[in-house]
Amino acid sequence: MIKYLIKKIAYGLLVLWGVLTLVFFLFQIMPADPARMMLSQREDSKQLELIKQKYGFDKSISEQYFLYLNDVSIISFHNNSDIDAYTYLTPGKYKEQQLFSVSSTTVVLKRPYLRESFIKNGKPVTAILSETFPVTMVLAITSIMFAILFGIILGVLTAIYKDTIWDRFILFFSVLGMSLPSFFSSIIVAWLFAYVLHDFTNLNMTGSLNEVDDYGRGQFLNLKNLILPALTLGIRPLSVIIQLSRNSMLEVLSMDYVRTATAKGLSKFVVVFKHALLNALNPVVTVISGWFASLLAGAVFVEYIFAWNGIGKEIVDALNNLDMPVVMGAVMLIASVFVVINIVVDFTYALIDPRIRLN
Amino acid sequence: MGNTLLEFKNLVTEFRTEGTSVKAVKGISFTLNRGETIGIVGESGSGKSVTSLSAMRLIPNPPGEITGGEIIFHQKDGTATDLLKISEEEMRVFRGNDIAMIFQEPMTSLNPVFTCGNQVVEAIMLHQKLNKKQAKELTIKLFEEVQLPDPERIFRTYPHQISGGQKQRVMIAMAMSCQPSVLIADEPTTALDVTVQKTILQLMQKLQTERDMGIMFITHDLGVIAELADKVVVMYKGDIVEQGNVWDIFSNPQHPYTKGLLACRPPLDKRYTFLPTVSDFMKTDENGKIIENNISVEEFTKDLAIPLSERENKHKELYSKEPILQIKNLKTYFPIRNGFFGGISEYVRAVDNITFDVYPGETLGLVGESGCGKTTTGRTIIRLEEPTEGEMIYKGKDIAKMNTKELREFRKEVQIIFQDPYSSLNPRMTIGNAIMEPMQVHSILDNDEQRKKRVEDLLTRVNLDPSHFYRYPHEFSGGQRQRIGIARALAVNPKFIICDESVSALDVSVQAQVLNLLNELKEEFGLTYIFISHDLSVVKYMSDRMVVMQAGQIEEMGDADQIYNQPGTEYTKKLINAIPEGKLEDIKRHLERKGVKVG
Repeated sequence: MIKYLIKKIAYGLLVLWGVLTLVFFLFQIMPADPARMMLSQREDSKQLELIKQKYGFDKSISEQYFLYLNDVSIISFHNNSDIDAYTYLTPGKYKEQQLFSVSSTTVVLKRPYLRESFIKNGKPVTAILSETFPVTMVLAITSIMFAILFGIILGVLTAIYKDTIWDRFILFFSVLGMSLPSFFSSIIVAWLFAYVLHDFTNLNMTGSLNEVDDYGRGQFLNLKNLILPALTLGIRPLSVIIQLSRNSMLEVLSMDYVRTATAKGLSKFVVVFKHALLNALNPVVTVISGWFASLLAGAVFVEYIFAWNGIGKEIVDALNNLDMPVVMGAVMLIASVFVVINIVVDFTYALIDPRIRLN
Repeated sequence: MGNTLLEFKNLVTEFRTEGTSVKAVKGISFTLNRGETIGIVGESGSGKSVTSLSAMRLIPNPPGEITGGEIIFHQKDGTATDLLKISEEEMRVFRGNDIAMIFQEPMTSLNPVFTCGNQVVEAIMLHQKLNKKQAKELTIKLFEEVQLPDPERIFRTYPHQISGGQKQRVMIAMAMSCQPSVLIADEPTTALDVTVQKTILQLMQKLQTERDMGIMFITHDLGVIAELADKVVVMYKGDIVEQGNVWDIFSNPQHPYTKGLLACRPPLDKRYTFLPTVSDFMKTDENGKIIENNISVEEFTKDLAIPLSERENKHKELYSKEPILQIKNLKTYFPIRNGFFGGISEYVRAVDNITFDVYPGETLGLVGESGCGKTTTGRTIIRLEEPTEGEMIYKGKDIAKMNTKELREFRKEVQIIFQDPYSSLNPRMTIGNAIMEPMQVHSILDNDEQRKKRVEDLLTRVNLDPSHFYRYPHEFSGGQRQRIGIARALAVNPKFIICDESVSALDVSVQAQVLNLLNELKEEFGLTYIFISHDLSVVKYMSDRMVVMQAGQIEEMGDADQIYNQPGTEYTKKLINAIPEGKLEDIKRHLERKGVKVG
């Protein structure tokens, strides 16, 4: 088991390295000069040089690449004798923990350093992401929970009551839910529940998790604002989960071991929810993980329409301003989320199915 | 009536699909007594499984529905209940508790996500007032009783970790767990090796005598129940055509269908020019009415036997030729990869150093239990698996070293007919196209029109209708599909056919038809066969020489008759002893053991 975990983590790190390399070189070929952008309208060649030096834009691409790798990696290598070397570790750059030194090279352990935003007055990217990511996380977890709970229950029920009017009804809405683009459903949901039905629901059309009060209470948590975006975001995974668990359940219900369970004299409830459901879950888990990961990566449209200050909105803003460190940092974060979820899913499979666990 | 256990009175079960209704069981009546075993025999589609599922009220609804009759269950205290009239809740009390069932497919009948032990414990705790610990103790005791090795370990294992025979024992333990008075066994041994079948049958016999149960044993093969049953019910197309005690049915069958079923098993002591089938004893007219031939089994088979001298002459000629295929020290290993970069840590030695020759025009039988490497051998010969080592010389060329062009030519000459007629045909392709495809690949004949003509000829040759060209596989029965498989193999004019368990999934009566067809085609086209099967009786009947395999190696090889008459190894003896022959002497012995005088 431990060996398997180590193997999975090693594969994950390999993936992250690949993503980092790809992202780094993609942004190298983008036609923009970040140093110029930071100065905006000012014309000061000395300042320009300083900026280039500070961010390493004056170095060769290979040097810049290694520098970035060093910044992002948990373990980094530095030249501690030559102050002009590009790997020289400026004191205070990160909160590092020195591991050991071999001749002039120091090896350092630290948290990944994602550099600073070009435009937000040099605000560290880590700080930006740690403000926005949890907000998205709350939204994603809420909507996936909503989708899992109702998706599996409705999927199982439609499988049991196959071909009845309720089955047809739910299937119709799940097909509709799958085919609605999220920018459209967001607007519909916002309009319907927060405008037309506002008197009943008392919900706002837009709003983020943390709001600033007009009456001087400062920032406060507004959970009410979570409902509509989570609902909107959950519609598609919900529809997919309903259909998938229905199909998977139908297949399992025709299996011999379900007949065996009935022949034992078990009640229909136990047969369905104990014997059949566990067997039907594997494909559902695959879909849930995929959707959850992509929800965490930011649901751009939904966040924009509901003015939800999450990572999706942050990425779009950063792209508009060519704020490379933020974009690259966000991409790395999202890639890590995917890797972690994949590992978790592999272990979930094993938890559900002993045939995977024991091989 | 004190002895009556389960009474079926005019049971009717129908299946409805889109407006039409088919009666799977057409008003049958029979009685199961306490301590009695009834064998219910018939081909697939005869309604025997539907009958047993009806008794458990397990008919899938829709489309199935029990539309008439009564099934009366008599409890020990004398109360009689009509199982068809009580509610689902009341029925659950009977299921598993008074009436238990074991199914055909042990591989899929246990839930893969729970341990074997848990599944039995669940059944016990459902019907008996025992706590978890007591239930566990009882389960382990039951596992001992069904002769599972190391019951404590089996309790903790998951179904995929044990063999098919062991799974069936777990199923039996589960069925036994609440001391049922009726045990319904729906083809419990059909999916198992003959050797395993024998041990399961012995176990059921033992349990029945100990516990005084009534057993309903459903099978398509009369031979299987000969030594187990007291009574036999023969079903044909939803009706009971004959019922009586086992001795009468075997010694003096009245109905032509019963005669057909008795005669179609390949005989072990002689060879026939063709195997009798059910249609030799009866025909049905367009209304489904049975027309009898009024001929007894003895009369019919009298002139069919091939004299020994004829066989000897044929062999003399056969073995004077050069071998068409020489297998020398063949090894096929399957690597197990589990290292970090997919490194190979171990090998499964599926075929481990075997050597044999095949002569043109002969049928070479390959026999052994599942997992002995016989199928891998067949697959390696046509390069569906790559050999690890060794030579396979076909007409002077090593198959393993053929280039693409030679391999193409080789595959035209050597064809394979697979085991499962259900999954070896593409469900999205009409059978005409399926048969035509290999001709197109090998550019046989000039255009598709000629090929279509040939496909129609082939369909006629394998006793199917040429108009079936545009039909899809799901419209055919198992036997018909296997004939389609044969037609597909014949399409490229092969010289050499490998039959890989080609009749194992079929009912005995259909098996006889397919075996006859294979033998006719062999004569007609001068074919050479490698005939692979786990059933020694079939291999012995078909082959000139046979190879007995065990654990990837050859156990014994030689003339089929000689191996059968004088088996050289313990393993071969075990295989031969396990064949359910349904001989009258055996039935007599079995009945006398129970204290019934016959003959």
